[in-house]
Amino acid sequence: MAKNRAATNRRRNRAPKVDIKGWYRHHLMCARSALMGLIRQPISSALTWLVIAIALLLPTLFYIALQAINTQTQAWQEGGQITLYLNNTTTIDQGQALANELRARPEVSTVEYISKQQAWDSFRSVLSLQSALELDENPLPASIVVVPIEQSMADLEALILMLTDLADVEDIQIDLAWIERLNNVLDLIESIVQVLSIILATAVLLIVGNTIRLSIESRKAEIQIIKLLGATDNYVRRPFLYLGFWYGLSGGLAAWLLLTLISLNFQNQLDTFLASYGLTAPAIWLNVREFGILLLSSILVSLMGARIALWRHLKDTDPQ
Amino acid sequence: MIHFDQVSKRYDGGFEALSSLSFNIDKGEFVFLTGHSGAGKSTLLKLITAIEKPSSGQIRVDGIQLKTMNRRDIAFYRRKLGIVHQDHQLLMNHSVFDNVAQPLIVAGENPSDIKRRVHAALDKVGLLSREKFKPIQLSGGEQQRVGIARAVVKKPDVILADEPTGNLDPALSRDIMSLFAQFNDIGTTVLIASHDLGLIARLNYRVLSLKQGRMITSPFASGAA
Repeated sequence: MAKNRAATNRRRNRAPKVDIKGWYRHHLMCARSALMGLIRQPISSALTWLVIAIALLLPTLFYIALQAINTQTQAWQEGGQITLYLNNTTTIDQGQALANELRARPEVSTVEYISKQQAWDSFRSVLSLQSALELDENPLPASIVVVPIEQSMADLEALILMLTDLADVEDIQIDLAWIERLNNVLDLIESIVQVLSIILATAVLLIVGNTIRLSIESRKAEIQIIKLLGATDNYVRRPFLYLGFWYGLSGGLAAWLLLTLISLNFQNQLDTFLASYGLTAPAIWLNVREFGILLLSSILVSLMGARIALWRHLKDTDPQ
Repeated sequence: MIHFDQVSKRYDGGFEALSSLSFNIDKGEFVFLTGHSGAGKSTLLKLITAIEKPSSGQIRVDGIQLKTMNRRDIAFYRRKLGIVHQDHQLLMNHSVFDNVAQPLIVAGENPSDIKRRVHAALDKVGLLSREKFKPIQLSGGEQQRVGIARAVVKKPDVILADEPTGNLDPALSRDIMSLFAQFNDIGTTVLIASHDLGLIARLNYRVLSLKQGRMITSPFASGAA
């Protein structure tokens, strides 16, 4: 019975044929009037999109810094080296043969053979303790310094295992722990950037949500009237969603402008500073793809803020 | 067209605005709704416009059970109605033209059509020269007529008016009533809440009288004579 009635209702109260043109016109009208509204109140709207811009700028700068560190550390990872101390019984020829063998391996970048005599010479030149120690025999072993190419930690461990098992190798000293530590620190920074991005995205969400809420409040009477004239919820929401869209777009563009300003002011200083350490400075810049992501996320987060505000406050605007 | 079946409306706090109201208005009828203020006229109109829901009983308008409508249904249902509010309910920061055009814009009509129809409606209420004015620049009576133009611009199936001549002088009142009568002639159902008994007496239409939420005239009798 109730079902039948609902069906009859639907038939009798059929929505008029969807007029795509009218729908499109309304979208255009809402987009335009929302934009005009922002332009007509430049100061109050600037406050909103500036806050959005700053909230977006922070994670963007962190992201650029992280990218830069990642590029640098790729070079640093090659600095990890493995020192193989050879048996005392190993002759110079045998040692050099082993060094050549290692040099031929693909996972190895450079190999240096240090003979007993070379080790002794460098020891003495560094410490000048010859007279004090009065050693009549050279106690130092010959060694081979292996610098592996950049590779995953697992591959590196496999290489180390292989080197440890070599017959002529007495002892092995690995200078790789710091690389692992560096990687951990980078992972930590990356997590911090992610958390920060989420926190600041939430801030954007709240800012836009609150701005839209105020806008709904101020137009409450108007909304009540057009609802009585047969406006659907979608129709009522549309202008506010466009408002959110424009806030997102202008906030994203402003973040990019701020980034450009920072780049213009600090790029030279950064270049000079890092060059003094022999490092190349990263460009404080976004490529087209990153710029697109910045704009898109700004718009999406703002739209979400607007949608949440509408969801919370649209019911308040039902006619009374 | 408008069918009330044992409709009651109680507000929070126990006040009963309408008690077991039953009546029927046929398609194409012209009906006056009278009663002292507080008799339930506005409540009755709010129930028909689906602003409020009855506490009990059923309301059918043009065959639609108002009770079973969802939010979207309500929006499309209201497009069939032309509503004149006692307090005008105009968009104060829009021009007279935009105000009258709203029902057509909401329905997605095309702009040239809208212009033609808004001008026709404004002409009928004698405000064509004021189309660019804001409501605030108009007198109370003129605002009332903007509201009336907005109600008729879409040639609605049903015209509902709450004291539409409250702010108008007798000559204008007659003009507005004859405007409603013109729409009635082409088949529009008209329900007007009014306490202007003189005006009602002059026009020979059916009258529904409310007193303390109850119908005091025979609800199905036709004609006042």
